[in-house]
Amino acid sequence: MPQPPETRETLIRRLSNAADVEAWDAFVEIYEPLLFRLARAKGFQPADAEDFVQEVLSAVVLAVGRWVEADRRSSFRAWLFRIAQNLAIDFLTRPKHRRLGSGDSQIARLLEELPARSTDSSELFLKEYRRELFRWGAEQVRDQVSEKQWMAFWLTSVEERPISEVAEQLGVSVGSVYIARCRIAKRIRKVIREYEAQTK
Amino acid sequence: MNTRSAECNDDNLLVLLDGDEDSDLFRRAASHVDSCAECQRRLTELSVDADHWAMLREMLRPVEGDRPESGLLCRYRSAEHVPWRRSVVDEATVKELLAAPSHPEMLGRLGRYEIERIIGTGGMGIVLKGFDSELNRPVAIKLLAPHLARVGASRQRFAREARAAAAVVHEHVVPIHNVESDHANPFLVMQFIPGESLQARVDREGPLSVAEILRIGMQAASGLAAAHAQGLVHRDVKPANILLENGVERAYLTDFGLARASDDASLTYTGVVAGTPHYMSPEQADGQPLDHRSDLFSLGSVLYFMGTGHPPFRADRPMAVLKRTCHDPHRPVWEYNAEIPDVLSDIIDRLLGKKPSSRFATAVELQDALATALSDVQQGKTGRRRWKSPRHRYSWPVVAGFIAVIVISAVIAVMFIPPFGVGSRNATLPTATEAVGDAPILSQSPLVELQSVDPSPALQSQAELDSLSRMLDSLETTPFPESQYQE
Repeated sequence: MPQPPETRETLIRRLSNAADVEAWDAFVEIYEPLLFRLARAKGFQPADAEDFVQEVLSAVVLAVGRWVEADRRSSFRAWLFRIAQNLAIDFLTRPKHRRLGSGDSQIARLLEELPARSTDSSELFLKEYRRELFRWGAEQVRDQVSEKQWMAFWLTSVEERPISEVAEQLGVSVGSVYIARCRIAKRIRKVIREYEAQTK
Repeated sequence: MNTRSAECNDDNLLVLLDGDEDSDLFRRAASHVDSCAECQRRLTELSVDADHWAMLREMLRPVEGDRPESGLLCRYRSAEHVPWRRSVVDEATVKELLAAPSHPEMLGRLGRYEIERIIGTGGMGIVLKGFDSELNRPVAIKLLAPHLARVGASRQRFAREARAAAAVVHEHVVPIHNVESDHANPFLVMQFIPGESLQARVDREGPLSVAEILRIGMQAASGLAAAHAQGLVHRDVKPANILLENGVERAYLTDFGLARASDDASLTYTGVVAGTPHYMSPEQADGQPLDHRSDLFSLGSVLYFMGTGHPPFRADRPMAVLKRTCHDPHRPVWEYNAEIPDVLSDIIDRLLGKKPSSRFATAVELQDALATALSDVQQGKTGRRRWKSPRHRYSWPVVAGFIAVIVISAVIAVMFIPPFGVGSRNATLPTATEAVGDAPILSQSPLVELQSVDPSPALQSQAELDSLSRMLDSLETTPFPESQYQE
């Protein structure tokens, strides 16, 4: 169920610290596609998967209020990722008819729980989280390089096609295919590491 | 080649990995790697380790929804993200929403309207120039943006608000002819106003003359008054929503109440404000309940914009603009523009009051104040105090002196000016006369209700906000000062 706009306005007001708003944006960057993929992996239809995305993010928004109220000194980013992980796993594990009610007591419980309880859902979560992180990183880097450079990386690294063949197909030298794919691989690792460093 | 051994070193390869592709160093190293298999191997080794290469392959391997042939990854994003990520609306996109045109030179057809071209795009929709084939007249059509048309709540809101807006009939409000809410993409049909927006005018010509500012402000205020009388709050008064008709000195307000329909998506849970936040009132920026006085603040920002060429609160990011709107004082207009008389500068200061109660009580009151100022300007009766310190610093004796001077001149005026002088002054001001005529109707309308709605919640929260803002200032060094916002 989409949250009422009032909730969103409240979130904006609560996150009046610009760095926290950035943290939230970065969080949504990974979490929207991640939650969608998780729901699809659990057999949800696309429309239901969209609802699932909205539902979990709305629950996280509600939880943000608690984080602000609690006089915590942990970073917002680290907290956000922990609560979202717990919420997502909880939502996935729960039978469909059990909906998060007003949220408060449940969120309180989730806040106290440690992340990554060993269930099938949490394994799936970690696997898909990692996949989304790599894909996000790849998307970031793709925006910074030329189409040819990207294809040189993609065709040789992901599709494992021979370098000389790709060079010929793209009409560039073998050396530039090597350079493009190595530069891109290194940059993807860099953006992923930076992202992870900020969420720990 | 015998240069190989010298060229084969890790430093050169690191330039290839991290260096500037346009540098000579890079080009030299690149041409070497073309022919040196050893360096190709070493380059791969230096970039990322074998595990990471395997991981990249595993994680990026095509899954459902990917388009491997183009190296595109499918990363689902909700509809709320699409508008500000891909905000370019081109003819091809619009054509998809339209039926085939009856004439080849047209873009397409929407019901009985032939669509000629795109006039503009905004946060919530696309504005098209069209032609009503039944009534034989040009029209402007506002089409609800596709991403919003999919959201049931937005559709309903659009229809509801558009109908309410259609009920506002006023010479300074763009008339709405028709609302089509059953269509796949709901749209509303408005009178086509040949001309440009106030935003475009100021962008093109810079700050306007004092008389123009007062005239446009007065007309916009009268349009607002008509809407407020219907219990409608505009919520998005800004220069782009004020149209100036070509050839005649007439301004129109547009997009009444529609801002609300777009709230569902423009203010997303990501905390991103899609539109311009520059003209939002503090209570709006803070997500507080708002009434018609929010529009007065926004109109104050528009007057400020006309006088200076920019809105009162500027910052790099939307969030920062909102924060400044809530907490910072604006710089007086006359500090930017020496032409602005005190009377206008004071009106703007009053409109930009953080507390709704410190602004004008109604749009009618504002309209009257602007009309008086305009007549004063036209008679050359304006004063400036550019060289003086800001008003708040005036001491009481100075103010008392001022009042004494005004009272004395008023007495002299009453003694010497014959009664018909008042009539001749108004004759130069047709809109002012009409405005005065409108006033009684307005005062007995729902506007009274609007005012009588207990303003204390807003007031309380405003007072609270002010005290919190002070606390915030003193807590600047604590890690999470926003926790102070909690009640």
